[in-house]
Amino acid sequence: MGIDITVKIGGEAGQGIQTVGDLLTLVCQAAGLYTMATNEFESRIRGGNSFFQIRISDQPVAAPFHNVHLLMALNQETYDLYRKEVVPDGLVVMGEVKKTVEANICEAPLGDLAKKAGGRIFTNTVAAGACLSLLGAPFDLFKTILSNRFGPKGLGIIDKNVHAGELGYQAVKDVPFKWAFGWQPGSSKGALMTGSKAIALGALAADCRLAAFYPMSPATGVITELALFVDDFPLVVEQAEDEIAAVNMIIGASFAGVRAMTATSGGGFCLMTEGLGLAAITETPIVIVNAQRPGPATGLPTRTGQGDLQFVIHASQDAFPRFIFAPGTPEEAFDVTVRAFHLAEKFQVPAIILSDKYLADSIFTVGEKLSAPKLVKRFIVTDDDIKTPERYQRFAVTPTGVSPRALPCAGKSLVVVSSDEHRQDGHVSEEIKDRLDMVHKRDAKLPRMIQEMNPPEKYHGEAETLLVSWGSTKGAVQEAVDALREEGLDVGSLNFVYLWPFPCKSADAILKKAKRFLVVEQNSTAQLGQLIKEQLGRCFSTAILKYDGRPFFPSEIIERFKHDARS
Amino acid sequence: MSRIKAFESAYKNQWCPGCGNFGILTAMKEALVSQGIRPEGVLIISGIGQAAKAPHFLNCNLFHGLHGRALPLATGAKMANHDLKILVNTGDGDCYGEGGNHFMHAIRRNADLTVLVHDNKVYGLTKGQASPTSDLGMVTPIQQHGVISEPFNGLSVALALGAGFVARGFSGNLPHLSRLIETGMKHKGFSLIDILQPCVSFNSVNTYDWYQKRVYDLFEENYTPDNFENAMVLARQWGDKIPIGILYRKEAPTFTDRIEKLTQGPLILQKYDARKLQAVLDQG
Repeated sequence: MGIDITVKIGGEAGQGIQTVGDLLTLVCQAAGLYTMATNEFESRIRGGNSFFQIRISDQPVAAPFHNVHLLMALNQETYDLYRKEVVPDGLVVMGEVKKTVEANICEAPLGDLAKKAGGRIFTNTVAAGACLSLLGAPFDLFKTILSNRFGPKGLGIIDKNVHAGELGYQAVKDVPFKWAFGWQPGSSKGALMTGSKAIALGALAADCRLAAFYPMSPATGVITELALFVDDFPLVVEQAEDEIAAVNMIIGASFAGVRAMTATSGGGFCLMTEGLGLAAITETPIVIVNAQRPGPATGLPTRTGQGDLQFVIHASQDAFPRFIFAPGTPEEAFDVTVRAFHLAEKFQVPAIILSDKYLADSIFTVGEKLSAPKLVKRFIVTDDDIKTPERYQRFAVTPTGVSPRALPCAGKSLVVVSSDEHRQDGHVSEEIKDRLDMVHKRDAKLPRMIQEMNPPEKYHGEAETLLVSWGSTKGAVQEAVDALREEGLDVGSLNFVYLWPFPCKSADAILKKAKRFLVVEQNSTAQLGQLIKEQLGRCFSTAILKYDGRPFFPSEIIERFKHDARS
Repeated sequence: MSRIKAFESAYKNQWCPGCGNFGILTAMKEALVSQGIRPEGVLIISGIGQAAKAPHFLNCNLFHGLHGRALPLATGAKMANHDLKILVNTGDGDCYGEGGNHFMHAIRRNADLTVLVHDNKVYGLTKGQASPTSDLGMVTPIQQHGVISEPFNGLSVALALGAGFVARGFSGNLPHLSRLIETGMKHKGFSLIDILQPCVSFNSVNTYDWYQKRVYDLFEENYTPDNFENAMVLARQWGDKIPIGILYRKEAPTFTDRIEKLTQGPLILQKYDARKLQAVLDQG
């Protein structure tokens, strides 16, 4: 067994926990280690209890670990809340000591050291220094990271931080820590990336030119990441007055000819539902990211969940074709986003990307190289492509259901579009024939849309028992599969990223070979399980569900799998 | 050359005979023709309601969207291609009721849009309920004891939010109205034209006759629309005398002028640079 250590840094919001975590992650990256970092915080700006948890390994890791080897408690509450997670040989570093505590506690006056370094603001750098010292990391590496990180702020700031880091590093130098390991020089195993950043990069690579949005956790990260590129790429980011405006703005922009997206969470998606229908009936391509959090209503704004699958499949009155994807990793998030824009435009339908707080905000090591398409294929016609532009009909009936799409004011062809049911020329109609033509035309896209859907991803897919999941639970499930197989159990897994239109054929081919399958989901009603039942007539034997707002640990899946096998 | 005939739509009109919307439609065509604009050179965006059907009755590019949502649609289209000439057709319920929030924020943005609010003070399409602009006391099948809420004053709200072109027209005075529309379209920035429009089917209070007796023309009065306080007084003038014309005018940089990226030209014409992008992706 190689290195597999989890460090948890906890404290109040505003104490700089994120910075400690970022520094640790960067040092690990520079040393050629893999990291997987989650953060949990309350829906408030100051106070409360937040933590940043990093799993460090010499092997790729794709899920958080349920135990903690090193707990850095910046306040007493962190100790009280998470003491029970610390492994027997682990260590707690108390940054603020209020009472006498047990044996494996190391008291480090982080606050005093920070003051010595120049003020309380340096507490995070002191804490990072202490953590790295305990883990056995070479100080020079830390120094390099600090110089890079604070470089733009000037030499003075670098020096102060290096000094602060050193004070923390020296303070615990002689404290024995069983889980310390030998740090070998190594090269980076990949970029550190959140799911949100991957989606933003995917949008950029897809030539998305307008992102209109209304701030909502945990979706805001996507747009914040995109906004970093407005100076260097053909991109405009606009904060709308509400989600209704956001979705209508991107419909307007797409109608006028640029690729456009928005990002929101469930509550905002509710407001966008009307616009979703508008995009559908006017056959205007758009991409909506729904970063899920547990609900309904305001729910748990800063926690994770997968409760919106059935909602986004059915959102809006009546029915129409749409695409739904749920990437499980940043690599998948990038690829799926590029593809979502492509497919939305190819079929002139809305595409929805389901992310969640866990995928959106966690930092993963992305080993794969992300590549931009050399050319972005647009599915737009001009007068030259149309025989008689004067008689152009935006909703001309075609065998594929996809009509040639011209842009307004781009030539002689007049583009007429209505949210009312309409004729082929776009004008409002209540004639039975027009209504049926349009429904049939829109639905005619489905067979070809299904052909675009990738099959679910198998992991030991030939096993007699399959754990079936979707989106971001993939990492935890695959790790659980590894552990169960090590114990000699014939278990595999199947993860869905391409969810709608449901890839019936490929899914059925795999599931029919399995003796039984369980679903693993972050909602209380087994929404994917219900979908499989509806689409394939196959029923899951058990559902392993978690809906407390926190991400799955592989250990929970293993335990519940075994419990189920026993009963 | 642009001709009225070019704007004639083959699509059958659905308004009630005598509807005030006909006047607005004609004035719109005249304003377009006098600017030399051809059907393929204009995009009309509308919401839902009788007013929002207007673009169907006019040969042009059009997006007939959702109730209340014409303004964000138009703003989005403008961001994608700020060379588009966009007219918005909306009604009192569409713009001031369902779309109230968008109305406020569209004014703040100052996107270069000309917004024609067909203000008939009643919901026509749903058969006669009060609208946000209905006068106090107006009796309807729903407001059985008369309207009890103060009427929404779109003009004074627009002024308060800093709109740079605030005008009132009357569908019974076509030359005046087409002049307003043309001036509004030439104005760089958000221009609001609230158009008094009788509803012959559901509003028996604010009739042609009622308006003819009350409206007076600010052009004829040689009113100079450059004073905010005066404009505010005129916006609130209602009853025996109702002013029509341009109440207030002020030039300011438009929304798309203020987006730095768009100073390089319309977003739609900018180039995708795969190499630059790959460099970003390689950085991680």
